[in-house]
Amino acid sequence: MGSYVARRLLQMGPLMVGISMVVFALIQAAPGGPEAVLLSSGRFVDPSVVEAYRVKLGVDQPVPVQYVRWAKTALTGDLGVSYSSARPVVHMIAERLPATVELMGSAFLLASLLAATIGFASALRPHSWIDLVGAGASFLGIAMPVFWLGLLLQLVFAVQLGWLPVSGTHTVGTSSVRDHLAHLALPTVVLASRYVASWSRYFRASLISALQSDYVRTARAQGLREGRVVFVHAVRNALAPVVSVMALGLADLVSGAVVTETVFAWPGIGRLFVQGMFARDYPVLMGILLMGSLSVIAFNLVADVVYGLLDPRIRYD
Amino acid sequence: MNRYFVSALAVLAGCAGSEAPRREGRKILRVAYEREIDLLNPFTSQNLVDISFSMIEGLVTTNERNEYIAVLAKEIPTEANGLVVRYPDGSYRMTWPLQENVRWHDGVAFTSEDVCFTWRFVAGPKSMTYNREQYLGIQTCEMPDEHTVVFTWDGAYAYYAGLFEGILPRHVFMKPDGRTEMTVDEIVNYEPYNRGQRTVGTGPFKFAEWKTGEYIRVVRNPDYWRGREFPAIDEIVWAFIPDNNTRLLALKSGRYDWGRIQPTQVSVVLDLKSSDVHLIDANSVMHFDLAKRTELGRRLFDDVRVRRAIFHAIDRASVAGKLMEGAVKVAEGPINPNSPYHNANVTTYPYDLAQSRRLLEEAGWAMGPGGVRQKDSQRFSFVMLNRAGTTDRILLAQVIQAGLKAVGIEVIFETLESAAWTQRWRRGQWEAMVSAWFLPADPGITGLYACQGANNMTGFCDPALDQILERSDQALSFEARMPLLHQAQAELAEQARMLPLYQNVTPEVVGKRVRGYRGSGTNFGSFWNLWQWTLEEQGG
Repeated sequence: MGSYVARRLLQMGPLMVGISMVVFALIQAAPGGPEAVLLSSGRFVDPSVVEAYRVKLGVDQPVPVQYVRWAKTALTGDLGVSYSSARPVVHMIAERLPATVELMGSAFLLASLLAATIGFASALRPHSWIDLVGAGASFLGIAMPVFWLGLLLQLVFAVQLGWLPVSGTHTVGTSSVRDHLAHLALPTVVLASRYVASWSRYFRASLISALQSDYVRTARAQGLREGRVVFVHAVRNALAPVVSVMALGLADLVSGAVVTETVFAWPGIGRLFVQGMFARDYPVLMGILLMGSLSVIAFNLVADVVYGLLDPRIRYD
Repeated sequence: MNRYFVSALAVLAGCAGSEAPRREGRKILRVAYEREIDLLNPFTSQNLVDISFSMIEGLVTTNERNEYIAVLAKEIPTEANGLVVRYPDGSYRMTWPLQENVRWHDGVAFTSEDVCFTWRFVAGPKSMTYNREQYLGIQTCEMPDEHTVVFTWDGAYAYYAGLFEGILPRHVFMKPDGRTEMTVDEIVNYEPYNRGQRTVGTGPFKFAEWKTGEYIRVVRNPDYWRGREFPAIDEIVWAFIPDNNTRLLALKSGRYDWGRIQPTQVSVVLDLKSSDVHLIDANSVMHFDLAKRTELGRRLFDDVRVRRAIFHAIDRASVAGKLMEGAVKVAEGPINPNSPYHNANVTTYPYDLAQSRRLLEEAGWAMGPGGVRQKDSQRFSFVMLNRAGTTDRILLAQVIQAGLKAVGIEVIFETLESAAWTQRWRRGQWEAMVSAWFLPADPGITGLYACQGANNMTGFCDPALDQILERSDQALSFEARMPLLHQAQAELAEQARMLPLYQNVTPEVVGKRVRGYRGSGTNFGSFWNLWQWTLEEQGG
């Protein structure tokens, strides 16, 4: 296992270089450049200022030259300076990361609990009303656009009932935990809905499959109590494929949720990415995309390791 | 489960009432702001305007009547008050008397040195200030005393009274030796000023906190130069809520005192108990542009009869009354009707499909197969460039498309995301689009319509109009400038260069407890008189 993990870690280097090249090329391929931000406010801008701006940022240079320049500094851990705020990208990402980790973490926890509960109940009583309600809710969750659900919940709980705030992370000037949790509630529910819908279906299918397997029948034939059969034998095996899916969801912990963060004005990585995209802030986009790629690779590795721990039959050479 | 879910939310919400929590005894103005700002330097930021005016003042600003008014200047120099003097060589001497007893937020006195420093910065080749070129006519900046600045201009520039909307604190931008000023590049990148640690102005509020991605908080300046009774508000929180729908709901929730919404959202907030909606006439005209920088554009739009025919086929009254739900008025020219420079007696293009068809026939465009006109085997079909996310403009484009279809013209849409759209616009790779500019109070339109105008991307060029515009830009008095701008507007309408659709409005939702608000439609925004605002209730 140790050598497998070490080999995978070593492979990450060339993989990240390849990803950075593709991402850089894709970003540059998008039409328009960072000068658009000068003109987007609808006011007059001298053309000489626009050209000077491009020269200052270095985006007048050929793309390969720009990439090499970026890569040289990135290798030292410096992801460059944002075009729009003139601040180091590393600082900007570090500022936004806690908000994203908190939101994604709470959504992940809530989604795990709900998905496990719904999936478990549905699998134990397949085709019962519980299963049908679970399936209906899951399909609704998958089909419902996140922004729409967000606006709907804001309308009901913030505007109509007045129980929860519409947006932000806290009421300015207050530092109570309850106030913060009130702000966290709606975006967490919205974000979790996306995961609950799919994870509960995976868990249900996986658990039904396990419950129908030979070893479960054998366990029951041996006279083991049903609780032991389900929790010790079936659930453990059923978890393995679900863990792979959930681990990929974990990668979102650092890359943020673009739509949810925008709808709830949550100051995380997702919103920073949207701002960077509209402003063609290449260094910010590169920083976030690379971090996202890195987390996907890392959590894939984690998933593989956990998979092996859950299922002793799997061995890595 | 639903019951438990709702109960859980209710518990979480235990502390939150329908009213915004307020700190004891403090009057706090909460703004639901539509943008997240980039940095705090008023000259290099791309989106700072409103927040800037709470902290940073300039020599002038604009009021709710579209007029320039003095702020850090005691008065605006004119020939009439003797502060503008023409020299025999054609240069001009303009004297700005400055307010005395003004101090920066850190206690240092504001003087004429700060004004000259600001000029040196803006005019510097690397300042990146959006209107830098307008400052280049200034040749020298003299400081006869601490409270007087004298600029020598190399000629007459009508827009001179609208410059210096912000002043930079020279002492903040000194190098460690205390004697040398930072270079322009160093100022542009000076993070303590850009991010708030050393952002000092002379305004009614001082910088307090910037939580990236969330809000900026400014607090009352107790030493404000207009008197200790100003401002009457203790604190302003500018919460960044860029999503239009979220901002609307935030305003509806009653937790915010101020916010801008979309014209099409007005009907949703009309019945709010805690706020009123003010429709501010923006210094901006939504208009339909045709361009002839492409081969297709030249073939289609070179003939003025064709342009007039197109304009007659667009039902602007319906656009204003139905599409925009009566929130806007039909426009007839590029200059705000509230401005004394507006010319109401110009050629207009009422909705008249018969007239449109007649003009097209006259121009040789006969009805062809598929209901699309053609001439010399050229179909009358063109692409209209839309910017993604600008819902109002895309709806307008659809109305235009339907109108032109009725007279045998095919319009195809191409919708691009903002940066891509801007690139195509700048390069002149387009034939038609719906667009709008937010103009300063100055009525100059040279940049938009002169042959070499910095923002004329249409390819239309009229040397006679250029002469009129050039003369209007050199007229320093209203009496001299007004007839020239009237002439220019008449010429633009006659030549059907662009079709004004409607005068933009900016709906601003303002809490009923806010007093002193006087919304302004210029590009300087509605916070120009924040020092006069008050909040009615105690405990803010």
